[in-house]
Amino acid sequence: MTVAETYKTDPVKGGPDGGIMRRLNVGTGIAAGIILAFVAHRVVGHLADDHVHQVDVRATATMVGWAIGFMAGLGAFTGPFRWMVGKDLTHADELFLAGKDQGIGRYFRFTTDHKVVGIQYLVLTMVMLGAGGTMAMLIRTDLISPNSGFLGPQTYNSLVGLHGLTMILATIIMVTGPFGNFVVPLMIGARDMAFPRLNALSLWLLVAMLPVLYSAAFLGGIPMGWVGYTPIADQGPAGVDAYMVAILIFAVSTAVAGANITTTIVTMRARGMTWTRTPIFVYGVLASVVLALPAFPMFMAAEILLLVDRLMGGGFYVPNRGGQPWLYQNLFWLMGHPEVYVILIPAVAALMELTAVFARKPLYSFRVAVLSIIAIVGLSVTVWAHHMFASGWAPDLNGPFMLTTEMISIPTGGLFLVILGTLWRGRIWTTLPLMCTYAMLWNFIIGGITGIYLSDVPLDYQLHGSMFVTAHFHYTLMGAGLTGAIGAMAYWFPKMTGRMLGKTSGFVSFWLVQIGFNVTFLGMFMVGMEGQPRRVVHYDAAYHTGNLISTIGAYFIGTGMLILLYDVIASWHHGAVAPINPWGAKTLEWTVPNPVPLENFAVLPVVTEDAYGYGEPAEAEPAPVPARVGAGSDQGEGAMT
Amino acid sequence: MSETELTRKASHWWQSEDARLLGGLWAVFTVLGVIFALIVPDHLMGRSASNTMTEVERTFTAFSVASAPVAAVVWALLVYSLWKWRRRGDWTPDDPDGPPLRGHGWATGLWMFASSALCLFLLVWGLAALSSVDSPATASTPLEIDVTGQQWIWTFSYPDNGGVESEDLYLPVNRPVVFRVTSDDVIHSFWVPAMGIKVDANPGMTTTTQTTPDRLGVYHVKCAELCGLLHADMETDAHVVSSADFDSWASAQGGSQ
Repeated sequence: MTVAETYKTDPVKGGPDGGIMRRLNVGTGIAAGIILAFVAHRVVGHLADDHVHQVDVRATATMVGWAIGFMAGLGAFTGPFRWMVGKDLTHADELFLAGKDQGIGRYFRFTTDHKVVGIQYLVLTMVMLGAGGTMAMLIRTDLISPNSGFLGPQTYNSLVGLHGLTMILATIIMVTGPFGNFVVPLMIGARDMAFPRLNALSLWLLVAMLPVLYSAAFLGGIPMGWVGYTPIADQGPAGVDAYMVAILIFAVSTAVAGANITTTIVTMRARGMTWTRTPIFVYGVLASVVLALPAFPMFMAAEILLLVDRLMGGGFYVPNRGGQPWLYQNLFWLMGHPEVYVILIPAVAALMELTAVFARKPLYSFRVAVLSIIAIVGLSVTVWAHHMFASGWAPDLNGPFMLTTEMISIPTGGLFLVILGTLWRGRIWTTLPLMCTYAMLWNFIIGGITGIYLSDVPLDYQLHGSMFVTAHFHYTLMGAGLTGAIGAMAYWFPKMTGRMLGKTSGFVSFWLVQIGFNVTFLGMFMVGMEGQPRRVVHYDAAYHTGNLISTIGAYFIGTGMLILLYDVIASWHHGAVAPINPWGAKTLEWTVPNPVPLENFAVLPVVTEDAYGYGEPAEAEPAPVPARVGAGSDQGEGAMT
Repeated sequence: MSETELTRKASHWWQSEDARLLGGLWAVFTVLGVIFALIVPDHLMGRSASNTMTEVERTFTAFSVASAPVAAVVWALLVYSLWKWRRRGDWTPDDPDGPPLRGHGWATGLWMFASSALCLFLLVWGLAALSSVDSPATASTPLEIDVTGQQWIWTFSYPDNGGVESEDLYLPVNRPVVFRVTSDDVIHSFWVPAMGIKVDANPGMTTTTQTTPDRLGVYHVKCAELCGLLHADMETDAHVVSSADFDSWASAQGGSQ
């Protein structure tokens, strides 16, 4: 079968072009969501007359009603519905769904083009990071002095939980969402994702999730932190229902996105792009979503059991009804530790990708990079109970879990070797993306070493639940992960927006954020070692110095992030126009014009070598003539010829 | 370009300018790291009040010292590459690329061997320390104390002393003590920072932790698991007193000795 035949579209039967789907957008989605939420609230209110659980049942039904109504009103179910009644989408309908010739309006519709979805993810991620960052500023302001009284205990406890959850969800999507969607299909030489409608579905589910998540703040808050430990979650107010429903929606979104990205990468790489010629960033994204596929169903299962507990009196986690809080913790951390690598691997892989470009050298030992990623993926599902050393669950297993945890440091060291080896004797071009590589190495070595302390059981007995842990995982998820995402954003910004990021404001923001970051979390290590627990609204005067340092550092981060936000908005609007390949990179996304046309490639590329041939003599033989496949041609028979 | 050519001309890699300067940087960073590791953690974690905490601080210092050369490798390369190999001005398409090094079997092997050896060291040390803090004391009969967490107070009960109950923890110095920890409502976590012990208080279950307090004084007992509204206030004092003082305290509370 030739490439051309692969792209032949089946003739579509029935149904004229158009229909109601052309009138649907985010506005009709919100309207339908509110209507269905209201209906669900009234109907379920009548049905559930059990007074113990009535509040929670009504709240949950309202939120589920909102989510389904929003997705239906947006047009997410139009395609499957028309297929079921035998009137499939016509080719013109498919092009409409892909956002053809719709300008800015396509960003507010259920649009299937992977580039639109990528931009939507980027904006959504920035909104969530902004919300989580604002909460962080409130938390740090409260902790500026031992008894500031800035926030009450209930507000504070809820803020800590919502900050954590917001940031975890945002960091999970921050690389695979924007860049996995926008860049990966371009990088592998594909016209779109394998399942474009699922792609749009995964994005809009997250939009439906956000109001549910933040409704928790108005429903009594969440008393139990982002981890949602039971049985305190069983006794919490209706805010906990919002937490559960938000997690369920997020888990569906992750599953859909994970299946889609995996299929795309495995089946849609350009001709000649063997696994040894596939760029390392594609491996990073693949590893992340493959790891998320088994991880998030664990979280979903944990929340479904909690839902049965809270809405129907199940008692899975309530000891005096035969339940087991440790069951929740095991399910939660079976998601929770792989999730750390879901966040880290694609961020570090993006930095590997761009380090080769800015050092003007091949990636050092591609093989070690790939094997390290595979080893981390494999080991990361075997370490979850190191979060439970101090819980009292199965003390005999502490030794084995310490072993698996410490073994992860070996492939993690492999990632360091690849990046340091790539920098070795390179011709270092210190752009903002490459500076993010340097910052990541600095932060990740601190995050990694402090992780080793926590993997040691006796040390963990002392440090678990203290500010030391908080500082440690901020060093990994923020210092390494978020820094990597900022580097990726700065690197691919010219391709995604067609404009260059501002140089000066980028560097000012970089130094403010990185210095502020290290000040904040070194202060937090300090108070953690001195004995301050996590998640406390006030603390002993003895810990004042470290907390004051932390808060000052946090304000630096906040200022730097605002400058970065300004830079992004201003450059997007009126930055210098970017050339097709501003960095002189060799991956395929830099061969397409700006703005990237609807089906990406006029002629599908054929790959004959990997993308890291810096400083190597060009291939002696010319590349074979690529198969000609016309963009947007429904016959797929070379409109270009 | 001078330095890369110099590197190639050197007869052995360790005679190259890169290797010598990097080695120097690495040595400086390692020394600084070791000094930091020997002073700062001990200082921040305060004076130990039990044999467990002594072990915790020893491990913390040992791991910090062992980490110093590792972090120094990364720091030295960061500083050196920015200092020596940095391009002046922006890249243009006519610029020559860097040397096409696609990996070096010997260097990769050494790196992997060193990190595996360090990992093995951590594991052996960790298992030894774990068996030392988890093993029941043999020297004398341990004092058993039932600890109950509830929103948001701790209650300590002394079955050996006729079931005396107290909201302050009293411990005789130099006598092993076993805490049997449980909760009346949600999960709490029983933590005495100065003694290096922590275990969750789970409703419906009993967990244990043990130590031997070895210094007189008043220390904090804290809750280390978010347990609701007044989690931050769930604190009390741990008094480590002489054996005689402990006995008189117990009888003053109405208990037996």
